[in-house]
Amino acid sequence: MPGAESRRRLWALIAPPAFWLCAFLVVPLLLLSAYSFRAGMSGAFFRDWVPTLENYRILFATPSFFELLAVSVGIALVVALTATALAYPVAYYVVFRARARAGVFIVLLLIPFWISYLLRVMAWKLILGSSGVVNALFMSLGLIQEPISIFFYSRVAVVVTLIYVWTPFVTLPILATLYRIDRSVLEAAASLGATPAQRFWRVTFPLSRPGLIAAAVMVFIPTVGEYVTPLLVGGSTGAMYGNIIQDFFGRSANWPLGAALAVVMLAGTLLLVVATSRVSRVEQYIG
Amino acid sequence: MTARLRLTLLLLAVVGCGGEKRSTTRLTADATGTLTVLDWAGYEDTVMFATFRQKYPKVKVSVAFGESDPDIYAKMKANADACVFHFYTGWQNFYVTDGLVKELDTTRFANWSQVPERFKALGRVNGKQYYVPWDWGYTSILYRTDKVPGGIDSWNALFDPRFKGHISMWDDGPGAVTAVTYVKGWDETKLTPAQLAEIERMWTDQRKLNRFYWTGEPELVQGMASGEIWVAYAWQGAYNTLLGQRIPVAYAQPKEGRNSWVGLYGISPKCQSPELAEAFLDEKLTPKVGVNLIGAFAYGHVNPNAYAGVTDTNIVKALALRDPTALDRTRFTPIVSEQDRNNFGQLWARVKAAH
Amino acid sequence: MPRRLWGLPAYYFGLLALLYLPLFVLLVFAFNDGTILAFPMRGFTLRWFEQLFATEALMRALRNSVAVAVGSGTIAVVLGACGAIAFVRFRFRGKGTFMTVALLPLYVPFVVVGVSLLLLFSVIGLPRSLLTIAAAHTVVSFPYALLILTARLVGFDPHLEEAAMSLGANYWETLRRVILPLIAPALLAAWLTAFTVSFDEFAIANLLAGAEPTLPVYLYSQLRMSARLPLVIAMAGLVMVLTLSIFFTLVWLRRFVFRVPAAGTVRAR
Repeated sequence: MPGAESRRRLWALIAPPAFWLCAFLVVPLLLLSAYSFRAGMSGAFFRDWVPTLENYRILFATPSFFELLAVSVGIALVVALTATALAYPVAYYVVFRARARAGVFIVLLLIPFWISYLLRVMAWKLILGSSGVVNALFMSLGLIQEPISIFFYSRVAVVVTLIYVWTPFVTLPILATLYRIDRSVLEAAASLGATPAQRFWRVTFPLSRPGLIAAAVMVFIPTVGEYVTPLLVGGSTGAMYGNIIQDFFGRSANWPLGAALAVVMLAGTLLLVVATSRVSRVEQYIG
Repeated sequence: MTARLRLTLLLLAVVGCGGEKRSTTRLTADATGTLTVLDWAGYEDTVMFATFRQKYPKVKVSVAFGESDPDIYAKMKANADACVFHFYTGWQNFYVTDGLVKELDTTRFANWSQVPERFKALGRVNGKQYYVPWDWGYTSILYRTDKVPGGIDSWNALFDPRFKGHISMWDDGPGAVTAVTYVKGWDETKLTPAQLAEIERMWTDQRKLNRFYWTGEPELVQGMASGEIWVAYAWQGAYNTLLGQRIPVAYAQPKEGRNSWVGLYGISPKCQSPELAEAFLDEKLTPKVGVNLIGAFAYGHVNPNAYAGVTDTNIVKALALRDPTALDRTRFTPIVSEQDRNNFGQLWARVKAAH
Repeated sequence: MPRRLWGLPAYYFGLLALLYLPLFVLLVFAFNDGTILAFPMRGFTLRWFEQLFATEALMRALRNSVAVAVGSGTIAVVLGACGAIAFVRFRFRGKGTFMTVALLPLYVPFVVVGVSLLLLFSVIGLPRSLLTIAAAHTVVSFPYALLILTARLVGFDPHLEEAAMSLGANYWETLRRVILPLIAPALLAAWLTAFTVSFDEFAIANLLAGAEPTLPVYLYSQLRMSARLPLVIAMAGLVMVLTLSIFFTLVWLRRFVFRVPAAGTVRAR
């Protein structure tokens, strides 16, 4: 193909996605970073902008914001690891045991995932809430006098809900990973006398580890910035870092400070991704 | 010129000027156009501007929604397509500072004289009338009489360990700050850093007693009706709804006094059809609309002539409509400075983030 | 099968039961003759389902969600196809950078995507609307579309285009008549994925919604209104049927048209 012709076609193909991403992702993120150096909300964006580090000063002078970020990272880690661990046996079962019915088993697992997330979370209120099934049952049996309230409107509730929501979803990339494992290696191991346990721990699991890490990362990243679940079930003590950002962009109307908080979280998340991408490449495990 | 001609001209001049002084808008019944309004959910119903609709049936009123005062402020700043916008006391100065509202000529409002001075005053910034007051209400402590048999007489109930796990506070920083200033007897417009720190400490401790922060009245109603919440920071609308559901509730008269707030409408300087906007707001002040508003949400209306038309006993009770001195004993939300608003917002964020 | 592993099916079905429990409870409450989300039930009724279709706001929110999901899904797939073809079929410097930027949305928390776009639209004076939500959803779905289409294209003979063009077709015709039909199942899979990402998305839609809500935004506002809650739950049941059918299509595509190998086959790497 003539070079110039080829270049033109390439540009024609690259231009649309490049434009869209620039316009609706790169530029907004740059704007966000710039806005975090703005003193207040009054006035037009460009005309009345006096650069200041005030928001970052406030941020760094408020230990509770960083603690909350650490807590959110911790929650995300717990959720990612737990969901991955819970999903692994399910994926293993579907790939290595279910054979012909694998498709059905996958679909069954994913149907709940396709129901509105908000409603599924509220359904837990029906079960675990103060006036829910569990409490009503226990009270009518006389086991407790007062409803148990820790299951709902607490940080515990946020973590449990997030694990509940993510586990079916994270089976997908683990499935993909397990599918790719070359069976002939397992057969070879068996013919060399390895027990099933040995085959699993020394062949299957190590081979699936990069995919597991990728799956965990896929859960971890969105969960760090999660704000919806704490809104629904977090109560007064279950707020996550994302809630503070959303508050500053919403009810507290302090966008510059919210932007600073968002930038800090984004920087942290991207650093983490760079670090883990040395271990595995996430994109191999989607699609 | 003949004497008769001169007299006719004089008469015409007088009639002409008098016509303006009579402050009718220059609209006629077949006025057309679109009026864009930024309002709160529920106010898009035509009964909220019933007489405007009757008088100018061909004008299309298009309503966009805001969820909270900061949201409305942010939307107006972001160039929302709104001729008229609605917000609540505390935010008057922000729109003025940002040039988002235009000064009103109250002579163009036929119903202006029916509005009591105390409401008009809240629509003034730096001596200029920018806003039309429209709705009002109380904030106080709402409680279940069956769970709190002793009754409640102080804002301190929000911090009372007896109600641990059954309190619900509104998710709002300025509201939280105000509540403590009532308890402590402080001036909410002149808080020292030490006082702010104390307020933050009180609310951080209060989290152990608080079940959830409510963001909308229906959520609060749901919580109280199910018995999960016994004591809450609430507006009278929730009180009225629960009375209607026959839940045993009472609305406290704290010794520090109830809070009161007023809803205000402003006209954007970018409005292409200011006469429509003025007519719209003018018609919202009529007693007929007042009765509709009170009946729909149990919110007060600024025109006292509307009160006689309200017959629902629960609503009359919730708003204390037959008591003309009720509002005298309340504390209206003052105008908040931007610095204070930011401080209160950050305080609340720290309360939520606290370990 | 080794004795030890009977626990595995038990685990699977146990997890499944746990996953379905809230849905079951929800569905039971959809027939509850009462409006408070508390146990015990107050009687049986079908009226919420009747009211469902009569509730204009709810139906409008549903239509909005479908419109946004269709719009953003289509754009995401078009952009994804362009990107995939460019990435697989062309050699150029900066492929790594391109992939990094293209996959960036996967690494940015939704709340940050939402607030940054909120800021953008505010600065350029564009009011929030379904369009702003759709623009955001396209950004978020694009990586999935790109990855699905890239994976599919990689498997194809790179000389296909050359062969077609040597027969006289120009490049764009070749794309249209040769490549696109070949990757059609992947296009559909990518579109369905993008559609589903957008349809139930709440975090971003909540931030960028204007006067018209999407279904999740509407549901959220109704979750706090006790009177409408059972109605909303009835809607959940119906949405389940809708998304189920979409998902069946997706899985069918992957298994039979897309030829993802079944368990037990060897896959060369």
